[in-house]
Amino acid sequence: MTKSTRIFMSVIYWAFVVYLFVPLVLMVVMGFKDSAFIGFPIQSWTLDWYKGVFQDTEVINVFIYSMTIAITSTLLSLVIGTWVASFLGPYKFPGKVIIFAITCLPAVIPGIISAISLRIYARFLDIEPGMLAIILGHTVHNVPFVALVVMARLATLPKSHIEAARDLGADSLIAFFRVTLPYLRPALIGAGIFCMLLSFDDFVRAFFLGSYQPTLPVLIFAKLRSGMSPEINAISTVVLVMTAILGIWAERSMRRMNKGA
Amino acid sequence: MAHTQSSTLEESRERSPTGRRSFWGALAQNGTYNAATGVLFKTQRRQFLLLASFPLIWVFVAHLGPIIQMFWISFLDSYPPRVGYEPQFTLDNWATFFGQSIFVTPFIRTLVYAFTFTFATLLITYPVAYFLAKHVKRQNQLIFLLLLLIPFWVGEIVRTYAIMILLGNTGALNRLLMMLGMIERPIPFMYTSFSLGVGIVYLTSLYMLLPLYSALEKIPRSYLEAGADLGAGAWTRFRRITLPLSKEGIASGCTLVFLISTGYYATPVLLGGPSTTVFAETIAGFFHVAGDQWPTGAAFSSIMLIAALSITGIFLKLMGRSGKGLMK
Amino acid sequence: MDQQGRKAIVHIENVSKSFGQTKAIDNLDMKIMAGEFVTFLGPSGCGKSTTLRILGGFESPDQGRVILDGVDVTKQPPNKRDVNMVFQDYALFPHMTVGENIAFGLELKGQQRGEIDRRVASLLDFLQLSGFRDRTPDQLSGGQRQRVALARALAPDPKLLLLDEPLGALDAKLRGQVQVELKDIQRRTGKTFFFVTHDQEEALTMSDRIVVMNAGRVEQDGTPEDLYYRPASRFVAEFIGETNLLEGTVRGSDQGAVIIDWKGHSVYGSANGGQPQTGSSVAASIRPENVICLPQRPANDRALKGRIVNRVFKGSKTTVDVQVDERDPLIIKAHVDPAVAHQFADDTVWVTWDTNRLAVLAG
Repeated sequence: MTKSTRIFMSVIYWAFVVYLFVPLVLMVVMGFKDSAFIGFPIQSWTLDWYKGVFQDTEVINVFIYSMTIAITSTLLSLVIGTWVASFLGPYKFPGKVIIFAITCLPAVIPGIISAISLRIYARFLDIEPGMLAIILGHTVHNVPFVALVVMARLATLPKSHIEAARDLGADSLIAFFRVTLPYLRPALIGAGIFCMLLSFDDFVRAFFLGSYQPTLPVLIFAKLRSGMSPEINAISTVVLVMTAILGIWAERSMRRMNKGA
Repeated sequence: MAHTQSSTLEESRERSPTGRRSFWGALAQNGTYNAATGVLFKTQRRQFLLLASFPLIWVFVAHLGPIIQMFWISFLDSYPPRVGYEPQFTLDNWATFFGQSIFVTPFIRTLVYAFTFTFATLLITYPVAYFLAKHVKRQNQLIFLLLLLIPFWVGEIVRTYAIMILLGNTGALNRLLMMLGMIERPIPFMYTSFSLGVGIVYLTSLYMLLPLYSALEKIPRSYLEAGADLGAGAWTRFRRITLPLSKEGIASGCTLVFLISTGYYATPVLLGGPSTTVFAETIAGFFHVAGDQWPTGAAFSSIMLIAALSITGIFLKLMGRSGKGLMK
Repeated sequence: MDQQGRKAIVHIENVSKSFGQTKAIDNLDMKIMAGEFVTFLGPSGCGKSTTLRILGGFESPDQGRVILDGVDVTKQPPNKRDVNMVFQDYALFPHMTVGENIAFGLELKGQQRGEIDRRVASLLDFLQLSGFRDRTPDQLSGGQRQRVALARALAPDPKLLLLDEPLGALDAKLRGQVQVELKDIQRRTGKTFFFVTHDQEEALTMSDRIVVMNAGRVEQDGTPEDLYYRPASRFVAEFIGETNLLEGTVRGSDQGAVIIDWKGHSVYGSANGGQPQTGSSVAASIRPENVICLPQRPANDRALKGRIVNRVFKGSKTTVDVQVDERDPLIIKAHVDPAVAHQFADDTVWVTWDTNRLAVLAG
């Protein structure tokens, strides 16, 4: 590799970093603009938009609503995903490939179709649009991710660990709780945070499965449709900071797990 | 000496007990629990069935159920069910699509967009992934990668909004170009296929980057050195060694980005205009604007699902692998 | 009860087990005495590990029964059996400390906390692990891990301790030391050890009794000395130690010794199971260290003349290859004291042996 291509490559990398960050930085900066008009130049600065967000009970309620959905659907996804993985991972049986494909299905279906099909299904099951429908929708969407991460972790658990637990007096259930589950911990933390983010950030499912009470992305969308305003920037920035922190945490615990912690 | 040791062992076992049993100890010794598990876990087969029952029910009911139900109502003349009306079987919903260009055009447009954006994402992220995997020192790779992942965690809506700020008439890009004196008046980037493309690439690039990176990272440096040793130039090395060995990553990256980009709804609504209406917007229309057009919406969704999955299926076949390892 | 008055703690009763087409165990019937150190020895796939897993409850036999201390445990799952195991990779739980690992089995037996603490402390003391109670397995050396695994398996006071090649993960130097320790621990606890290995040296060092298995069947069952000096089959002779295998036909007998025609040379040996039929083809085994090399023809006529074609100095001994026949090269390996190896300077030697040391094997 010549020096010039090396430099060329690093320029592309940094240009890409700029491409990823500049829009977000602009969005954050615009939240401090002392004018209701979104655009450059910025003449004077203010913290009012942020103050407004933290005082706006509607925004806070929506935030709590979104969080409740994210946490509940994450917990459900973790339990179900782990159960699916414990069954799909270690065992061989006819038709396993098909079951595996169905398990992955919700993760590969384009968002709009997933949302529409869940909307129809909720109606079919007589689940009113609203919190429960969104929670279940997010759970369906998240289970494949949990199952895949847990399966990958399970594959590295030596069979002898379970056998040792059985040998020392644990039945299958106790062996699972005392040996398998602690071993899965880093995977579950990583997958859990990932699910929280997917749920908290999700727009299309929440939009079609929700009632009049919006989730945070739906609220931002609704506000955007009636015009851009620095208030939206302030809300978005709060969301951005939170998700970035959660994301880094998730990534760290996943990487550490892959290094064999 | 040997004797003393073993006798201390004996003593400690027989000393009178103090303290409490642990939860698991109590459970393992609990008569009712053992009677229950004795029946439930009696044979390996029974244990397996017990373990398998819930996941099987879940994936069929929750993963497959919605899709099947969507197909089902796409053949009904009325849904949601109304009191006193028995829905009839019909093919009209499917026929509607093929009859009218206002439906076919967004459909074709969606596919063309998805192809274009996927290819653009591949072109943009390949050098980035290559740089990360082959030029950054191993101990720094995580930090460089993490830097790219941070924006990735921010949701679709927030990032779409960020692109709106960038590309607006008074946005940063126009402002910059005007300051540089390259343009006189703002270029209307927004509400075009350009703004939509920038947005979609922005949203999906990491789904391409990660599979590419993990494929490229696996290629041993010695292969390239061997290639150079045998007289291959930089371009030949790339074409004959790197590219074929990163095929796996290209296949999964393109599949993911293609599927994801066909599924966006909010982004085309916010970044696009009347000339860029995509099929997701068409489908959504049947569920929001018009009341009782769910069966048509379901038929359209089915058409799009079939199209998206067949295209990726054919693509993966052409790339010479099955879809099994898709998510890895 | 056996001759020493010990009772059988385990009875493996006509057990057979197949995996698909392969017969892993073919009608194994065997008793293990209380307090015995039994080693199952054999190449991989011989059925030794399957036997161990059947005893542990991890496999169930296709046929036959397993009787543990008078009770039929064939259908009992591992958690209900008074049998514990030291795993090949030790299988220490990585998220638990040494103390918690050892306490695991006691806890699930429903023992009280104070009682568990005392038992763990005394086991740690017994296995010289006292300072390691609060460490996690990844902070231990290979030898320490092995001792923790042993402590964990001993803790619930099992009737039978299974050891699945527990020394395989240790380096060669440590292995020798641990062999001695393990034998010592077995003696001091008086536990019945069921040890599985493919390493014949390990088996010879530690066992009271060795069962050599091959292709699902027992080749020989005896003391280490029996196996070494009186192998019952060609397989055992070749598997255990280094040996010279002489193939020939029985010519007759002379004062209790069997005379074998070894490609035209008469060699003298002894048969374990009585005089074999004259004219039948047999194999005979003689250990290199039992071959005596002499610079001159000895007084008796049971020596073979040969020429040293290869010699390798190995420190405590020199190994030599003696070619007995010029036309049809027949080689006998022998060990020679390096101090006297120079006596064979002109390379002509006479090889002979104590007739009892050449074991005539059936088939």
